[in-house]
Amino acid sequence: MRIKLFLVIALVVLFSVSGLALRVMMVTDMGGLGDKSFNDGTWEGIVRAADFLGIDAEVIVSYEMADYIPNLSSAAREADIVFAVGFLMEDALFRVSAQFPDTYFVGIDIVPPEGWEGDNVATYIFEEQEGAFLVGYLAAAMTEVGLIGFVGGIPIPPVERFRYGYEAGIRVYEDLHGKTVDILRGYTMDFVDPKKGKDLALAQFAEGADIVFHAAGACGIGVIEAAAERGEGFFAIGVDVDQDYMSPGNVLTSSIKRIDVASYTAVLSVALGTFEPGLHVLGIKDEGVGMSEMEYTRHLVPAEVLRELDFLTEEMKAGTLVIPRTQDELDAFEVPEIALP
Amino acid sequence: MNRGKWYAFLVPTISVLIAFLVGSVIILLIGKNPLTAYVVMFQGAFGGSEQLADTIVKMTPLVLTGLAVGFGFRAGVFNIGAEGQMAMGALVGAIVAMSFGALPPVILIPLSIISGMLAGAFWASIAGFLKAFTGAHEVISTIMLNWIAINVTTFMVAGPLAVGTGTPKSPEVAEAAKLPIIFKVQAIELSIGIVIAVIAAIVMYVLIEKSTMGYELRGVGFNPYASEYGGINIKKNIIMIMAISGSLAGMAGIVDLLGVPPQRFLGELTGGRGFDGITIALIGRNNPIGIIFAALLISALRTGSNAMQIRAQIPNDIVHILQGIVIFLVAAERIVAALIEWKKREKVTA
Repeated sequence: MRIKLFLVIALVVLFSVSGLALRVMMVTDMGGLGDKSFNDGTWEGIVRAADFLGIDAEVIVSYEMADYIPNLSSAAREADIVFAVGFLMEDALFRVSAQFPDTYFVGIDIVPPEGWEGDNVATYIFEEQEGAFLVGYLAAAMTEVGLIGFVGGIPIPPVERFRYGYEAGIRVYEDLHGKTVDILRGYTMDFVDPKKGKDLALAQFAEGADIVFHAAGACGIGVIEAAAERGEGFFAIGVDVDQDYMSPGNVLTSSIKRIDVASYTAVLSVALGTFEPGLHVLGIKDEGVGMSEMEYTRHLVPAEVLRELDFLTEEMKAGTLVIPRTQDELDAFEVPEIALP
Repeated sequence: MNRGKWYAFLVPTISVLIAFLVGSVIILLIGKNPLTAYVVMFQGAFGGSEQLADTIVKMTPLVLTGLAVGFGFRAGVFNIGAEGQMAMGALVGAIVAMSFGALPPVILIPLSIISGMLAGAFWASIAGFLKAFTGAHEVISTIMLNWIAINVTTFMVAGPLAVGTGTPKSPEVAEAAKLPIIFKVQAIELSIGIVIAVIAAIVMYVLIEKSTMGYELRGVGFNPYASEYGGINIKKNIIMIMAISGSLAGMAGIVDLLGVPPQRFLGELTGGRGFDGITIALIGRNNPIGIIFAALLISALRTGSNAMQIRAQIPNDIVHILQGIVIFLVAAERIVAALIEWKKREKVTA
C-alpha cells in the first residue's frame, strides 16, 4: 500500500520537478554483491528506485572491516544518499554520518546507538520472526520424519529472530495438530563461505532431518546445494530474498525480508523530501516480511496448510498472534487460542 | 647464476610489473582503460592525506602478521595460525585495555599490547609444544587452533563481553588505552600503530640476522639434525619460534584494535588478515624489510581498488587477480629468474 502511494506521489513530483540530480551509493559489507541475500536485496530496491527516478546508483564492495569508514566517507563525498548494508557497519555508519551532515545515510539491519541525535540517518530493521514463523509452521507440516534443521550464520539478533520465529511456528503447529517435531540447530559462524553452510546442512540431513532452514547469508547458498544434492524428499528453506528459484523444487519456500522495499522506500523518501531519520521497523503488516510464493513447490503443500498459513498471517497482522523476538519471549511463549478455519 | 644483493628485490618487483601487465589486459577485456584504472588506483592509495592514512592503517596489521609468518618460515616452521593468534591477542589485549582504565596511557598501552602478545604467543606455543613433544605437524594444529580461537572470540563477543543491541561487540576500550593519533582526516584516524609495526620489523631483523639466538633459530630451520648435533636444543627452539611468531600475530590483533576506531572487539575482527600474513611473508621473501614493502603493496592495492570501484567502475575482483598473479610469480620464482637470466644472456651475446 505504502509503495503504491509513494509511486503516485513520486510521479506527480517527477512531472513537476524535472532534472533530479541525486546520486546513490551503496557500500556493501564483506559479503559483497552476489550473496543472493541482503546485499543483493538492498541493491535491487536501490536500482528499482534509481531507474524510476532516472538517477545514478553505484555500489562499492568492501573487502575488509577496515574498509567501512573509508568507503562510507568516499561515498558520502560523491553521493547524496549513502547506504550502509549490514549490522557490522553500525559503528562506521554513525561515525561517518556525523562528519557529513548534508548527506543522507540509510542503514539496513542497523539500530541507532542509544542517545543518538542526528537528522541524516534512517535505519531499517525487520520483524524477521514473523516471516520465519510461517516457514516454521510450513516445515512442521511438511516434515515426514518429524525432524527439521536450522542453520544460522553468526548468532546475531537478526539471525536469532529468524530462529525464534521458526521455533514458534513449529510449536504452534505441534500444538494445533498434535504432531511432534524436533529441531537441530547449528551455526556456521560465518556469512560468506557457502561450503560451511553446505557441510552443516549435509550433517543435519545425515542426522535424519528432511527440511533445513538457513539464516546464514551467503553460507545459505551451500545449504540449498545440499538439499539439491540429497534430491527428492529433502528441502532447504531460503532466507532474506525469494531463493526458491536457486534450485527449483528443492527449496520449499523462503522466509522473505523485503529489504528491497526498505531501500526503495528510502531512496524515494529522499527524492520526495519525506525522509524520516531514526529507526524504522518493518513487519508483516507493512509487507516488510513474509514467505515466498512457492512457485515450484506450491503443488506439494496440502490446501488446508495453505489456508492455515493465510489465516495465521491475518492473525499476525491483526496483532492477535505475537511472535517472540527474544530468547526469553520464546521460552515464555504459550501457544495462544487459535481457532483454525 | 649471480644472486647479488638486489636479486631479492628484483623477483618481487618484476612479478608486480608482470601482474599489472596481465591485469591491464583483463581491464581492457572488460572494456575499460587500464591506464585510467591504474592512475585512479594510485590516487586512491596515495593521492592525499586521507588516502595515505587509509593505506597505512590497513598496512599496519599486515606488516605484523607478515612478520609473524615470515619469522616462522625463516626458522623452518609453518605457522598458518596467525589468524587465530591475532584474534586471541586482540581479545586478551582488549580485555586488559577495558579493565584497567584508571592507569595512565604510558602504562596501559604497553600493558595491553604485551598481554595481547603473550596471548598470541601462548596460543601459538600450543602448536609448538605439540610439534616438539608429539611430532604433530604445526600446519594441521595451527589451522585447528584458528577455528578454536575464532569460535572463542565470537562466543566472548556475542556473550560475556557483549554490549548494546544489534552488532555483537565488546565495550570500547578505556580512553587511556587508545593509541595516540598522528593525524585525523574526517572519520579516518592514523594512529602510531604503524610506528610500532616498523619497530617490530627492525627488532626482528636484528634478532634474526645479528644475534646468537637468531643464528640458532636459522640453524634449526636450515638443518635441524645438524643443529642438534651442534648442541642446539631443538624442542626448546621450536616452542620458542612458535611463541615469537605468535606474539607478533597477537600484536597485530591488539595494535589494530587499539589503533583503529571504533576501538572495540567487533564481529570477526581478524577478517583473514592472519592468512594475508602468509602472502606477505612470501612476497617479502621472509625478510623483515621486504615484509614492510609487501604489506604496503597489498594495502595500497586494496585501498586503491576501492577508488577504482567508485571512480572507474572497475570491480574490486581485479585486485584479487593482481594479488594472485604476484603470489604465483613470487612462489614460482624460477619463471622470473629465467626471465632475468635470459635478459642477461641477451646482453652478453649482443
